[in-house]
Amino acid sequence: MTIWEKLQAVDRRILYLILAVCVSAGLFITIEIPTDPDPSSRDLYQAIMDIPEGKTVIIQSDWTNSTRGESMGHFENLLRLLMSRNLKFVFYSAADPIAPQVARTTLARIIKERKDEGLYEYQIGEDYIDLGYFANAEATNLNMGIDLRNAWSGKRTKKAGAGEISIWESPVLKDVRKIEDAGMMIVVTASASIDVAVQRLNKKVSIGAMVTGVVGPTVLPFYQAKQVNGVAVGLKGVYDLEYCMANGVNLKDEDGNIKVLNKGGKEYPKITEGKTLARGSKYYGTLHIALILLILAVVLGNVGMAMSRKKPGAKRS
Amino acid sequence: MLQFLAQATPPETNFWQQAPGTTGLILGVVGAFIIGMLLFFGLSTIPTQFRRYIIVGFTFLAGLVFVLQYLWPRPINADFEKELPRNAVEGFGAWLGVAIDPVAKTANILAAFLLGLGIFSLMRVHINKIRRRAQDWGFSLILIVSSVIMAIFGFWDWNMRQFNDPEALLTSQENWKFANYVNDALFDGMYQQMDAAMFSMIAFFILSAAYRAFRIRSVEATVMMASALILMLNLMGALTFMWSGWINGLVESTGNQFLTNFDLTVVAGWLRANMQIPAIRAIEFGVGLGALAMGLRLWLGLEKGGVSS
Repeated sequence: MTIWEKLQAVDRRILYLILAVCVSAGLFITIEIPTDPDPSSRDLYQAIMDIPEGKTVIIQSDWTNSTRGESMGHFENLLRLLMSRNLKFVFYSAADPIAPQVARTTLARIIKERKDEGLYEYQIGEDYIDLGYFANAEATNLNMGIDLRNAWSGKRTKKAGAGEISIWESPVLKDVRKIEDAGMMIVVTASASIDVAVQRLNKKVSIGAMVTGVVGPTVLPFYQAKQVNGVAVGLKGVYDLEYCMANGVNLKDEDGNIKVLNKGGKEYPKITEGKTLARGSKYYGTLHIALILLILAVVLGNVGMAMSRKKPGAKRS
Repeated sequence: MLQFLAQATPPETNFWQQAPGTTGLILGVVGAFIIGMLLFFGLSTIPTQFRRYIIVGFTFLAGLVFVLQYLWPRPINADFEKELPRNAVEGFGAWLGVAIDPVAKTANILAAFLLGLGIFSLMRVHINKIRRRAQDWGFSLILIVSSVIMAIFGFWDWNMRQFNDPEALLTSQENWKFANYVNDALFDGMYQQMDAAMFSMIAFFILSAAYRAFRIRSVEATVMMASALILMLNLMGALTFMWSGWINGLVESTGNQFLTNFDLTVVAGWLRANMQIPAIRAIEFGVGLGALAMGLRLWLGLEKGGVSS
């Protein structure tokens, strides 16, 4: 039995072990890997930075922990970005009943992280509103586009010092009468719920998307058609956004170098408060290792097959 | 006066929606429940051959609201919150605009009922399995016990946050009590971690499949592998950064701008924009047409099988 034939017959548990060891090792390295952010991620950063001060952002959070490797990083980045800009936001879910609780847990962690850093602590009712779960994304998005006040009527929020109040009395939504009044709508999703949001709302509000690598390709046609103003796709998208947050766009560093270049575009500042390089930075090295392993597996598998065929008398499949 | 009216907050309550905690809301819920139950039992007594007509009629009416709302002519700048319709056509359009809200909310409520139906069905199947001591009934028992414990602490936590925490102190972990900690440990500490672990197993199968099954046996497979390789390499920031630096150096030294086309990000971008996106768009068009045809068949009651058979 030649080495190539042995390679063809390798026990799959050995492959699993190699993957587990390599991927776990990558998690211990948190470094700023230089990158060239995708234009779609860069556009998302620019769109969020372009939201006028005082505007409220609508977040549709449709992810759970099954995709937390990507979606949690997206959601955390979004919260850090909005909080660093003092933008108020509303969040809800329209795809999975578990999603609101997952979003709440992540939000609580980011608020605590900022509190520990001595930064402003976002308050429910004052800076953000939690609308919970809407069971039907199609009907909800359609209704939001026709009449936001009706779509969210009867919803209430807690507010420190005021007890429970109507969401429309809260500072978060006081200037919002219809969806066009929102600064932006950002959908963090691991499903096709972004399709519904784009189909129903893209003419009324600027939409941004933070999606998983699997969903990404289906959103790119919307981005190319400018129905979505920016898309962060998968783990690369998480790191791209962190990289933009840490380095700005078209912004010269101390050495006069521009780390994120957008030829012909204007300059966007970097984020100066709170964490910038976080979960994406932590996982990005692992992504490199996993991709190298995957490429090696395909190459070795094919070379092994070709070499086995060359052996005299070998069967050609 | 007009300016004042334009800024006035629209009334939050009407026939379709009442303020929380009011007598009107409680009466509405009780009334709707009684009517719903009467309808439920009434419909159950209808002979089977007539049920199809009821379901098809209800489906048609529900769909008609959305279809008309989309297709009904409407003046571009019409704002029926502030203006009165000028004729019957505009009047019907304005009425449709108002009707969408209760219809959409009904759709949300029906979708929520599906969750309840799912839980009921799951419980029934597993309770029967335990009662019959069927194979692996122990797993069914674990499922039911886990569900009940999760529900108890979930409702306990919800009850504390909803009714006993007017200042929203429980949004901060420092103020949590026993039920909040247990609920968090069950939901975030166990359930969510197991969910993530289940999905992470896909990575092992992908690697195994890449090694054993992804074979270059045809031109199509070769093209697919080459494209996948470029897109995968493009996901590696360290590589794209080094490649860009190398290409930029070459462009500077040779003065040949054409070389920028060989930047990995540019090649991957070209593949995405000219190969991947058009292909996906074509697939989406096909799916859209299929969905339209299926939607029309369901709406018009032409689909055989299911509830309408």
